[in-house]
Amino acid sequence: MNPPSLSSTGLVGEHLCVRYHPRQPFVLDDVSLHIPPGKITAFIGPNGSGKSTLLKTLARQLPPEKGRVLLDGQNITALTPRKLAQRLGILFQENIAPADLTVEGLAYHGRYPHRRLFEALTPEDRNAVEEALRLAGITPLRQRKLSHLSSGQKQLAWIAMLLAQEPHYLFLDEPTTFLDLSHQFDVMDCLCRLNRQLGKTLVLVVHDLNLAARYADHILALRDGRIAAAGSPADVLTLDTLRRVFDVETRIVCDEEHHLRFCMPVGKTSSTSEAAS
Amino acid sequence: MATPKTPMRPMFWLIAGSLCIVFAAAFAQVAAGSYEMTYGQALASLTDPKVWSQPAALLRLLFGERLAEVCGLRETEPLATMTLIVWNVRLPRVLVGLMVGINLACAGSIFQAITRNELASPYLLGVSSGAGLAILLVLVVYPVLGPHLPLIAMLGGGAAFLLVYFIAWHHGTSPVRLVLAGVIVAAIAGSLQTAIFFLAKDINIMQNALAWTTGSLTGAGWEQVRMIAPWTVICAVLSLSGARHLDVLLLGDPTARALGMPVERARFLLAVTAIMASASSVAVAGLVGFVGLIVPHVVRNLVGSAHHRLLLGCMFAGPALLVSADAGARLAFRPVQVPVGIVTGVLGGVFFLYLMRRRREIGKL
Repeated sequence: MNPPSLSSTGLVGEHLCVRYHPRQPFVLDDVSLHIPPGKITAFIGPNGSGKSTLLKTLARQLPPEKGRVLLDGQNITALTPRKLAQRLGILFQENIAPADLTVEGLAYHGRYPHRRLFEALTPEDRNAVEEALRLAGITPLRQRKLSHLSSGQKQLAWIAMLLAQEPHYLFLDEPTTFLDLSHQFDVMDCLCRLNRQLGKTLVLVVHDLNLAARYADHILALRDGRIAAAGSPADVLTLDTLRRVFDVETRIVCDEEHHLRFCMPVGKTSSTSEAAS
Repeated sequence: MATPKTPMRPMFWLIAGSLCIVFAAAFAQVAAGSYEMTYGQALASLTDPKVWSQPAALLRLLFGERLAEVCGLRETEPLATMTLIVWNVRLPRVLVGLMVGINLACAGSIFQAITRNELASPYLLGVSSGAGLAILLVLVVYPVLGPHLPLIAMLGGGAAFLLVYFIAWHHGTSPVRLVLAGVIVAAIAGSLQTAIFFLAKDINIMQNALAWTTGSLTGAGWEQVRMIAPWTVICAVLSLSGARHLDVLLLGDPTARALGMPVERARFLLAVTAIMASASSVAVAGLVGFVGLIVPHVVRNLVGSAHHRLLLGCMFAGPALLVSADAGARLAFRPVQVPVGIVTGVLGGVFFLYLMRRRREIGKL
C-alpha cells in the first residue's frame, strides 16, 4: 500500500453549489469545507441534508454548479478519471454485481484504474489484491461468490475492492447502515485500522451518531444543504448543536473507562419543550 | 475479471462440443445438396490438390475474379466441377454462417452488458430492424449502393439504436423501458420494410428481399465472405479487448465511474462495436433472430458472466448454432430450402420460453 504522500494537504471544497435540476432548490448551498489529511471525517445530518450529495461532489461523481474541489491543492476537474481513481476511491451505499462474481474477482476490479487498455495483470496488481483481501480480513472467503455472502461479508468484499484500488482518500457512503452490530464493528474496525496503520484519509457518511463519536477525528454536521457545525466530536456532539441539526433533545453520556461519548436521543425538541412547559 | 483459479472445465467442453457441431454440420453442408456426391468425394474436393498446391487458384477463390485480375494473378488450370461446387457454392456458405454466428453472439453479449439487461439483443434493441430497413431501401430503391451494404446496415442499425435509447431514456434507462422501446422501433421498422415491398417493380427483387427479411444464407458466396470477414475480425478483437470494461460496467455506472472509467465514452465505443458486428451480419444474412439472445444466455450459464470467458465461449457456440441451423434449414426439407432465420427463430423461441419458465429471475442481470 502507498504511504500517505507528504504533500497531502487534504481535500478542500470551496463554495460548492449543487442541485439536481435547474428549477429545484440547491441541495448544497455554498458549502466550503476542509477534510484534514490522515484523519477520519464523518458527515452527519438528517435525511435530505446533503451528506451523500456532498460526498459525491467531492469525489467528482456530481458536477457542482458553482465552486471547486481541490485535492491536495489540485483542482479535481484537471485530473483524468483514471488519475483521480488512483488517488480517491468511493463506495456507494448500494452496489450491484453479477451473482457469480467471486470476492477475489471483485477485488481485481479495483485494479481497473491501474491497468492500461491491453495490459495483463502485473505482480503489483496481484500484491495489491492480496493485501486488500488481508486488510479487509476476508482472505479465506476469496473464492466465494458474492451472492452467497452475508451482507456484512459482502460489504467487506466491496471494501477490499476499494483497497485494491490503492487510493489515499477513501469515501464511504453509510458503510454500516444495513449491518447488524457485530458486522458494524467488523467494518468500522477495519476502516479504523486503515487510518491508524496506513494513514489513509477516510470520509464517511454515517447515520449513527455514536459511531461518529467513537471513530471520527473530525465531524461535519449538515442541515438543509449548509454546514451547521464542524470540529472534533467533543465540539460538535453537544446538546445545542444536535438540537439545531436534528431538532432532537439528547443526553450526552461519557464513559470514562473507554473514553467514549454517547449521544442518547430523548425526544423531538418541540414535543419535549412543550412537555417541560 | 480473471480469477486465476477458475475451473477451465466447462469452457473446454463448450469449445470442444461447439467445434464438433460446427465440423459435423459443415461437412454435411459441403457433401449434401442437389448435386449429389459421396462423403469421400466431398472430402476429396475439399482437399483437392489442384486448389491447395496452386496459391493463385486459392486466392482467386478468396478474392474473386475481379480483384484477382487487379492483383495480376495468373490463370490456373481449370478445376473439376465437383471441386468448383464445393469451393464456390457450399464452403463459402458455411464460412458466412460461421462469421454471422460469431458476430451475432458477441453483439448480444455486449448489448446485454452495456444495457445491464439479460433481454437485450441486436433484435430486441431494434438494431437488426434498423439495419434491415436501411438495406431493403438500398436493395429496392438504390441498388447501385450494393457493395456498401455493411456500412449502410451500420448506419441504419446505429440510427435505430440511438432512437431506442432516446425513447427509453428517462433519468437513465431501465431494462423494461429499453426492451419496450426496442420493440416499438422494431415494429415501425418492420412496417416500413413491408411497405418497401410494394415499391419493388421487379418480382425477383421482391423475392430476394423477402428471403432476406427472414434471414437466409441461400446464395451466400465468397462475395459475402469478403463482405463480413473484416468486420468479424475487427469486432472479435475489439470485443475481447473490451471484456474487462464490460465486467466493470456490470458493477453499475457510479461504481464504474468511481473506478476511473469514462462510462459514457466506453459504453458508446462498445455499442459501436456491437452495432458493427450485428449490422454486418444483417448485411450478408438478413434478419436472423434469437441467436444474439440465446447464445450468450447458454454460454453464461456454462462459463459464468466474466466477459473474457463469455465472449470466447460465444465465438464458438454462436457458429455452432448458426451453422447447424443452416444445415437443417437447407437439408431437412429437400428440395425446398427454408431460410435459416426460421429455424433459429423456432429453436430460439422455444428455448427462451423454457428459460423463462425455469429461471424466475430472468430480466435482471
